[in-house]
Amino acid sequence: MTDLPSRRVRAARRGRPKGRSIMRFAVLCCIGFGIAIPFVWMMATSFKTRADADSPGFRIMPSRISVDNYPVILNARPDPGTGKKLDLDFGRWYLNSIFYASAICLLQVLTSAMAAYAFSRIKWRGRDTVFLLYLSTMMIPGAVLMIPTFGIMAGLGLVDTYHGLVIPAAFTAFGTFLLRQFMLSIPSSLDEAATIDGANHWTIFWTIIMPLSRPGLVALAIVTFMAEYKSLFWPLIMTQSSQLFTLPVGMLSLTLPTSSTAYAQQTELIMAATVMNIAPMIIVFVIFQKLMVKGLQMGAVKG
Amino acid sequence: MGRTFIILFLCVLGLYAGLELTLQRHRPGTTVRLRWATDDNPARREQIAAFNALHPGVELTIDLGDYNKRIVQCATRTGPDILDIYSIGDMVTYVQAGILEDLTPYADSLGFGIDKTYPAIAGALSLGSGKDMRQYRFPCNVWADCVIYNKRVFDELGIPYPVAGWTYDDFIVTAKSIRERSRGTVLALANSGVGANVWLYKDLLMGHGGRFFAPDGLTSRFGSEQSLAAARLYYEMMHVHHILATPSEAAALSSQGGWGAGGFSWFCGGKAAMVIAGRWFSVVVRNYPGLAQEIAAVILPRVGDLPSAGMVDARAAGVNRLSPHQKEAFAFLRYLASQEYADGIAADGDALPPLSGLYTTGEQLSAVNAVKSPEFHQAFIDAMVNARPIDYSPFMDAGPTERWIKERLDAIDNINPRQPQTTSEEIMKGLGREVDRQIQINIERRPELRRSYREIAGREWSPDDSRSGR
Repeated sequence: MTDLPSRRVRAARRGRPKGRSIMRFAVLCCIGFGIAIPFVWMMATSFKTRADADSPGFRIMPSRISVDNYPVILNARPDPGTGKKLDLDFGRWYLNSIFYASAICLLQVLTSAMAAYAFSRIKWRGRDTVFLLYLSTMMIPGAVLMIPTFGIMAGLGLVDTYHGLVIPAAFTAFGTFLLRQFMLSIPSSLDEAATIDGANHWTIFWTIIMPLSRPGLVALAIVTFMAEYKSLFWPLIMTQSSQLFTLPVGMLSLTLPTSSTAYAQQTELIMAATVMNIAPMIIVFVIFQKLMVKGLQMGAVKG
Repeated sequence: MGRTFIILFLCVLGLYAGLELTLQRHRPGTTVRLRWATDDNPARREQIAAFNALHPGVELTIDLGDYNKRIVQCATRTGPDILDIYSIGDMVTYVQAGILEDLTPYADSLGFGIDKTYPAIAGALSLGSGKDMRQYRFPCNVWADCVIYNKRVFDELGIPYPVAGWTYDDFIVTAKSIRERSRGTVLALANSGVGANVWLYKDLLMGHGGRFFAPDGLTSRFGSEQSLAAARLYYEMMHVHHILATPSEAAALSSQGGWGAGGFSWFCGGKAAMVIAGRWFSVVVRNYPGLAQEIAAVILPRVGDLPSAGMVDARAAGVNRLSPHQKEAFAFLRYLASQEYADGIAADGDALPPLSGLYTTGEQLSAVNAVKSPEFHQAFIDAMVNARPIDYSPFMDAGPTERWIKERLDAIDNINPRQPQTTSEEIMKGLGREVDRQIQINIERRPELRRSYREIAGREWSPDDSRSGR
């Protein structure tokens, strides 16, 4: 049997004049084109030579495609302008970013799922009050917490370490809230049946609730990965050695406001670095966008 | 589900193990690790390598970051050992926050005293005057602005080169000629990024003989004749003569990769004829083949009969008061005052070396730099003669001062010349009133400022002083 909404949509489409559809399509194309232009320019400039990138007039496409900018950024080839390698740890920054985003993603999903289970499936005194308090931490701006959090990390000797980067970000009230809403939509009769069969809380959580929460978990994982991959401020203040830089922090070497940087003028190199920087995020989003939207929506719909 | 988690967990663990095992860690006890808060670029790395070679027991490293990072670090007493401070305003802020070490007891005996560098910059490295002068930083480089112009663009447009001794009227005529003959395709003056209007205003103010505050610091001088004249000239350059980039043009230029990058790219690409900058601009020349032969420099125009004068400042290093490695940090400042360091700066083109006695002519600088024109470098040496640092008041925080100046200049940028709701003079007078009011509030609220007031005025501060503005 066909879904009711789909039947209504088809019926509406039959009655809609074609001209309006074409007009709507044209407007959306223009808007999409306008949004896409900067990205197209960015990608095209990453394949330009120095002279091409600085030439007068506005041209999107390179007059001659050059793939030299990418090996220069990756330190495999010297900069054609200076004859010297840039000596940037771009490859390591890439790995650091992937580790940082993946580790936090994994930890946040686990901790948030466990906390959400406790807040949604277990009845205990003060549960709702504690949840509200937990949620209220989302109202505190990150900048306010930065100094005390950093102070704690410094006191523990975790500044400029991978642990210091990951641990403070391993817990999130947003993830707990998201998954709790999702878990509330799972019938409690499942828990009761499992309890009758002798399952404890961990067994219920791991074998019943978690598999049923997969869309929410995937949504949280994707949102977290994307947010932490592009996170700048916390990795910036926690790292001192360039070996621990993540990509956003490392990109500051190319773009930090200064009077004497030799990198800030090299538009084609900056664009090549930026393309490599955002490529994983675009790939993740393209592959998982449907799952992400579905997961975010399902948590909001009561069953 | 469990298997997925375990696989992912093992992958992340493997990645972590690989990253940790390949991490080259500093081992405490082997060398002293000195953290230098500065920007990362090839020149800095060469300087660090040279310093480390000279001091085998010390490992100088770059601690990359912005002001927010410094605030967080210093607030938790984990700040870097050495801080690069890019302006006198920032230095005042750091001193007021209690972060910077007073170098005065050590500077002369250790060889990085103010007398080693240009007299013009002394006021930007220290606070106070006479016996009360306290030195807080030593320059990594010193700069005063000149007008750098592209000779090829001038030749193509048939415009004569500017000559030292020119006035701002000559500058305006030249800039308008560029605009007209190029039919608007070439910018007369490239905008050097966000905050460029503040830098230009400061140069104009110095050129008019103005200052920010009265010598005793108790009142501002934003409402003075010189300040109003500087603001009016700025307004006319933008809205009457149309030789400055408009706010929207400036924003577009600024967005292209870092401070100044957009405007500098335009100049280096021949799309702008002039740019106001220090000798540090020659660092970017190496990225543009042929540009070194095309550029020239001339000192800033003068105002009326006054000598040409602009702002002087330095990227200068200060020592963190809480650094556990102050001895090594002082060794770094001594290195900044060395011949070897000066040679590197001269060759690199990163403004002028801090030691004033080593490179005194354009010929000496051109011999080691990519720009081979002695006249180009001589202009920057000549600019140091009359250049002056911006003055600040101990009764007014530097941060808000800079912010309010920026806001007022942005307001001047946004005046609609066809239907002006206000004038540049009114805007600057308003700034003066606001700063004066804040000075009185600061004195009222802070006991240490009340003591300073008593020392200067010879009497106790009273609320009547706030009403009378004194």
